[in-house]
Amino acid sequence: MEELVSLRGIVKRFPGVVANDNVDFSLRKGEIHALLGENGAGKTTLMNILYGLYRPDSGEIFIEGRRVKIESPRDAIKLGIGMVHQNFKLIPSHTVLENIILGLKEVGLIINYKAIGEKIKQLAESYGWRINPSAYVWQLTAGEKQQVELLKLLYRDAKILILDEPTSVLTPQECKILFQALRRMANEGKGVIFITHKLDEVFAISDRVTVMRRGKVVFLKETSKTNMSELAQYMVGRPVIFTIEKKEVQPSEEVMVIKNLKAFNDKGVLALKGVNLTVMKNEIVGIIGVTGNGQQELVEVISGLRKATEGSILIDGVNIVNNSPEKIIKLGVAFIPPEPLKYGIIPNLTIADNLFMKAYRYKPYSNGVLINWKTIYEKSEELVKAFQIVSPSLSAQARSLSGGNLQRLILARELSGLIGERIPRLIVAAYPTKGLDIGATEFVHKTLIEYSRRGSGILIVSEDVEEALMVCDRVAVMHDGKIVSVFKPGELDIEKIGLMMAGVEIAST
Amino acid sequence: MAKLLAIPYTVKIQKRTYITRKVSISITFLSLILAFLVVGLIFIFMGINPVDVYYHITMVFSSPTLLFESFKRAIPIGLAALGLSIAFRMNFWNIGAEGQMYMGMFASTGIVLLHLYYGLIPDYLVMFLMMLAAFITGGLWCSLPAFLKIKMKVNEILTTLMMNYVAMYFVDFLIYGPWRDPKGYGFPLSAPFPDYAKLVMLLGEFAYTGLLLLSLTAALVYVILKYTKLGFELKIVGESIDTARYAGINLSKVITLGGFLSGGVAGLGGLTIVSGIIGRLRPRASPGYGYTAIIVVLLSSLNPWLIIPVSIFFGGLFVAGDILQAALKIPGAAVEICQASIFLFIIVGEFIKRYRIMIVQKGGIE
Repeated sequence: MEELVSLRGIVKRFPGVVANDNVDFSLRKGEIHALLGENGAGKTTLMNILYGLYRPDSGEIFIEGRRVKIESPRDAIKLGIGMVHQNFKLIPSHTVLENIILGLKEVGLIINYKAIGEKIKQLAESYGWRINPSAYVWQLTAGEKQQVELLKLLYRDAKILILDEPTSVLTPQECKILFQALRRMANEGKGVIFITHKLDEVFAISDRVTVMRRGKVVFLKETSKTNMSELAQYMVGRPVIFTIEKKEVQPSEEVMVIKNLKAFNDKGVLALKGVNLTVMKNEIVGIIGVTGNGQQELVEVISGLRKATEGSILIDGVNIVNNSPEKIIKLGVAFIPPEPLKYGIIPNLTIADNLFMKAYRYKPYSNGVLINWKTIYEKSEELVKAFQIVSPSLSAQARSLSGGNLQRLILARELSGLIGERIPRLIVAAYPTKGLDIGATEFVHKTLIEYSRRGSGILIVSEDVEEALMVCDRVAVMHDGKIVSVFKPGELDIEKIGLMMAGVEIAST
Repeated sequence: MAKLLAIPYTVKIQKRTYITRKVSISITFLSLILAFLVVGLIFIFMGINPVDVYYHITMVFSSPTLLFESFKRAIPIGLAALGLSIAFRMNFWNIGAEGQMYMGMFASTGIVLLHLYYGLIPDYLVMFLMMLAAFITGGLWCSLPAFLKIKMKVNEILTTLMMNYVAMYFVDFLIYGPWRDPKGYGFPLSAPFPDYAKLVMLLGEFAYTGLLLLSLTAALVYVILKYTKLGFELKIVGESIDTARYAGINLSKVITLGGFLSGGVAGLGGLTIVSGIIGRLRPRASPGYGYTAIIVVLLSSLNPWLIIPVSIFFGGLFVAGDILQAALKIPGAAVEICQASIFLFIIVGEFIKRYRIMIVQKGGIE
């Protein structure tokens, strides 16, 4: 079989770590090759080298048997390599067509919109997609945006397609469409590299699988000749348990009652259209839904970061709607925010700074004017131990921590009762395991379950349906700014949940 | 054919992940040397021997009297820079130290004139009152743009910059109008400050008193930024407004207060111009100290202690400019060109410290 890509002996060092340690990787014509590994295993680094974003310290790259040097994405594109990043790189205020031809020299000075539009349409249809070339990108769903990203590559005749965790923004149905399209591309003789850390996807789509761990390739086999537990073991280096022990607890009192909550999103469109939801003490409630159906706005309103226009949120009977975040924090509402690096963590500040980002203003850490750094450092020492945060020192920058350790840091700050010396009444966790590896995910799940059993009420927003079914006591499906269904895990099958998330079927339960 | 003619190299700019102190310091010195070489070239074109120019510039930092003069200039520059370090810490791009200094000059002169006219308080309280007034007025001048930023998202770079001109022309108006000294033969000058309103007490000489004031302020700013609640809040706001809001920090309070402190310290700097360097108020009393302070604070990477030596260096450049005009009859504009070139080279040096500029081979099939 013809080899499209062959990476040999790739080494890439970053200050303090070897991200790729003598890595070999190959991609054949017509195959879908899954690149599996935990976060920080070096998958994305390797692909960034292939795509010209990084330069390897040593090693060789062969494309179709010829040795090449890739200094920039431009070189990569010329060689027929295309990459779809985790966060889409499209310009929302431009049309699909404009995004696709952006940077193409062949288009010329005068753009023949009609001909190009026709070509894009045909291309899309051949993969079973329905894309209007003159639609603006901001009007598209996440799944459609991904299709545009792929069209961009196909339009440039890319033969080697790299997809970095492409399913993280998709509904189960959209995933199916993507997989079908990818299979078709492989059948046409293209090679697809599929980066993922989800085991089930490996089996759903790939022909071969390479597993990376700590910068090295530890496993390579035909997908049909391996199984889930073998892969998981190679991935984390130890056997993994796929289910979680959960002690049964009878929820007693209401911690949070949301009634008819309405709020606008950043664009001034009504994003919450009357949300009703209750979270009890000792209970974990999960909200699932396709990203962008109001989940973000809901957690922001609860934590005081967004104004609501109507409705109420009672925390232990106190209405907190449109209160300041400070007041809500003081009532015992902990908030594990989405995208830790966006606002949960300040990468340039120290670990101690990040741990005390909220509690610094309360006794005994401050006397009202001055900050008591000695007490803060002593307490930080304790927290780092209790939450098993692996860090060089308390005064190291938070950016030196891995994703899993950053999430542990956030958990330590939010849950450990720094404010008022008690565990939180309510924990709002938005996508708490997004992008985490299996080990860190396990830790987050265990910690949240532990706190719910100790008496916190917990609201988890997740895009991973299986996670929600596994961890939560009750699951709510959110669609178009409303909770469309609430059920207990096991009551509904996953197919039906998927349809409800997509808004196709309104629950009858 | 085109392939053969193409240059096989391209320029790539990459952010540096870290830089050692040694490299950092040598880049600064290298850019200074380059700056002086270029300045020398400019002088050669003007028909002036650059060696003479270098001689006069080194004189500034070697002759005690001139060094003394540099200290004096360093004081308003340093105070303005200390003020800016507070604003920059919270990522508030205060370009308005110049205007805040003019408001400080206005307020302190106002107190002196009121006292000369009505004399309601004992003389020894006047200086204290002047400082208070300069601080508050300068502070309010900066908290207005801060407030506008947080409440209405008005870009602070524009407001602080515009308000410089408002302040400067306001002082012009006072001096050409109501505050002109009746005994001053019609010159646009205020009445001279009496001794108790001059920053000479304690140590008998403005340079000493001023340096003491500068050091005390630096210590205070250091403590505020490092050990107080407000300092911690400023740091978080500076890193990320979204995170600060998430952490429950009262943004309007912190930003307005930070702006107030920033402008207040600059206002004190204004006071040192009128009651230290000049001894009265006159139009255009600051030759751009407030703008120089921006470079000073960036070069000191917001470190209050570093601000003092860096201010002295820049104070020296101002003195050198005066000397060159007087001794070599170089036009003022030429001197300004030289100063600007030096600034420019320092800024390029700072850029190189942050980014690596590489010439790399173009990729492709080998």
